[in-house]
Amino acid sequence: MKNLFFLVSSSFDDFKRNKVRTFLTSLGIMIGVLSVVLLIAFGQGLKNYIKEQFESIGTNLVYVLPGRIVGEGGGFRDPGSLGAKFEEKDVLRLKKVENVDYVVPVFEKSVTVTAGANREISQLLASTHEIALALNLEPEIGNFFTKSDLEKRAKVAAIGPKLAEKLFGSKDNAYGKTIRVSNQSFKVIAVLKSKGGGALGGPNFDTITYIPYKTSLRINPDKKFYALYLRARTDTNIAQVKKDAEKVLLKTYDKDEFQVVEQTEFLNIITSIFSVLNGILIAIGSISLIVGGIGIMNIMYATVTERIKEIGIRRAIGATKKDILFQFLAQAIILSLSGGIIGLIFAFVIVFFVRQIFPAEINLISVIVAFFISSGIGIFFGVFPARRASNLVPIEAIRYE
Amino acid sequence: MIELIDITKDYEVGDETTSVLKGINLKIKDGEFVGILGSSGSGKSTLMHIMGLLDTPTRGKVLIDGRDASKLSDEKLSRLRNTYVGFVFQQFNLINKLTVLENVLLPALYAVEKLPFDPRDRALELLAKFGIYDKRDARPNKISGGQQQRTAIARALIMNPKIVFADEPTGNLDTKTGKDILKLLNNLNREFGVTVVIVTHEKDVAKTTKRQIFIRDGEIVQKYL
Ligand SMILES: Nc1ncnc2c1ncn2[C@@H]1O[C@H](COP(=O)(O)OP(=O)(O)O)[C@@H](O)[C@H]1O
Ligand SMILES: [Mg+2]
Repeated sequence: MKNLFFLVSSSFDDFKRNKVRTFLTSLGIMIGVLSVVLLIAFGQGLKNYIKEQFESIGTNLVYVLPGRIVGEGGGFRDPGSLGAKFEEKDVLRLKKVENVDYVVPVFEKSVTVTAGANREISQLLASTHEIALALNLEPEIGNFFTKSDLEKRAKVAAIGPKLAEKLFGSKDNAYGKTIRVSNQSFKVIAVLKSKGGGALGGPNFDTITYIPYKTSLRINPDKKFYALYLRARTDTNIAQVKKDAEKVLLKTYDKDEFQVVEQTEFLNIITSIFSVLNGILIAIGSISLIVGGIGIMNIMYATVTERIKEIGIRRAIGATKKDILFQFLAQAIILSLSGGIIGLIFAFVIVFFVRQIFPAEINLISVIVAFFISSGIGIFFGVFPARRASNLVPIEAIRYE
Repeated sequence: MIELIDITKDYEVGDETTSVLKGINLKIKDGEFVGILGSSGSGKSTLMHIMGLLDTPTRGKVLIDGRDASKLSDEKLSRLRNTYVGFVFQQFNLINKLTVLENVLLPALYAVEKLPFDPRDRALELLAKFGIYDKRDARPNKISGGQQQRTAIARALIMNPKIVFADEPTGNLDTKTGKDILKLLNNLNREFGVTVVIVTHEKDVAKTTKRQIFIRDGEIVQKYL
């Protein structure tokens, strides 16, 4: 390759002469790179989103759950009916575990909440006042229920901001009003700050109704809990807390009746499921890249045929086979790479706008992948036509009309 | 020096094999001014392409300064075509999408070694000398035949070749322009010692050269009939 600049500029001259053809050819690669980069960006966005959700609750949270929800292989298992239902006694015992700040029992149920004529489905979480501390819940209006509310069995509720808006039109309107759940009335004493969620089938933290568990006896008559949340002190060894909690629970329950899980385990399972899905989508997106590559090969064959005489002239005045090979290979790579770069630019623009509502992300890896894939496709699909060009017999080529 | 030993060229057309060159023996020494004269179809162009390493003989040897051309790699042959030989084709064979100047510069782009001159300066100098300096940015198909011929000669000369082959250099030109071109080739030989081989079917053209070779039906003959 004696004159790289010349190769590049002569390719561009050729593109200028065949604008429409060049555009249509690189369109395939453009769409391919766009879809692959976007899929990677959205996959990354999904991971970011899930991580944010978990982090908004706090990473030093340990869950005590009935049975084996997280299977041996790492996937989720049907919680089913087998396994323990936890009691108030368990809460007291677990509070003694070292480095645990809060232990809260959780009774959870999907309910219909009514306010006047409005009805909304909500996740009911019955617990102690300490759940606000364990899950980092902050009221935007009013105050979360207190220990005395719990003991007095006060009929009060703290609701998520979205639920407040749906039932009462606005958060301010909701404050102090009454909602009805399972024929019991609760006074709304707090509307919580938004925590997001709810998109993509995930839990929506903003439509949850929190009530003191002692008040909810009619809903949960035998005072049994589906889960216990342990909030470990910041910067403690979560694994040790987990072990200690297991030891305490083993005194009451069988090994198979409960499981102690930490945040990151959930996070890892969910992320790995989405990674597999994303990988499949990216593979499908790559098909368009191959189609684009075939388009390039097709055009390059046509270009070679059109330029047989020119190739003959170049060979006659001193171009080697290699010079001709590089000339056409360079053209294919430039065609493919410019398609890839335009696709990448479009992907950046789309992601820029999507980021307003979803944390999609184009990382350095996908930029590098886009470059390598599009130049790789240029090389792979360009080499066949370029070889044909370089193997032409000079004297036959120069006579070609 | 170029030496041809028993050169044969056969073409297979359908089932038939026709011999276009039938045992050519020929020596062209450095600095010669040679005219190859023969009627149309006698095999002159084929002979010229073989001498210029653009085509290969079916049988026989081409020796370039004593070296057997059939033993040379594609790189070496290309390099000889680039530096040793300059072609002026009957059909000019200019690239129409490049400008006159770019056409003249093209061989320099394929130079392997660093050139002892600035190719652009030299190209412009040649264009000025041939009176087509103001056509330097024009496309070859937008200038006259004589101007195209001069462009082709400038391209053949840019690399300072030892030998220039001109195939029917006056074939597409009017008498006056044809004469100018012949004078130009003559000067080239006289002033710069470049070996010049002119291929033609016109007796008058061949007469301007110092040595004439007659070819008929693919064979060298002593007298032109
Ligand atoms: N590629 C080819 N295939 C078959 N026949 C050819 C080919 N090239 C040249 N010929 C034939 O060889 C003969 C000599 O051609 P050429 O060397 O061009 O003659 P000239 O230049 O003397 O007119 C012609 O009869 C021509 O038809
Ligand atoms: Mg001829």
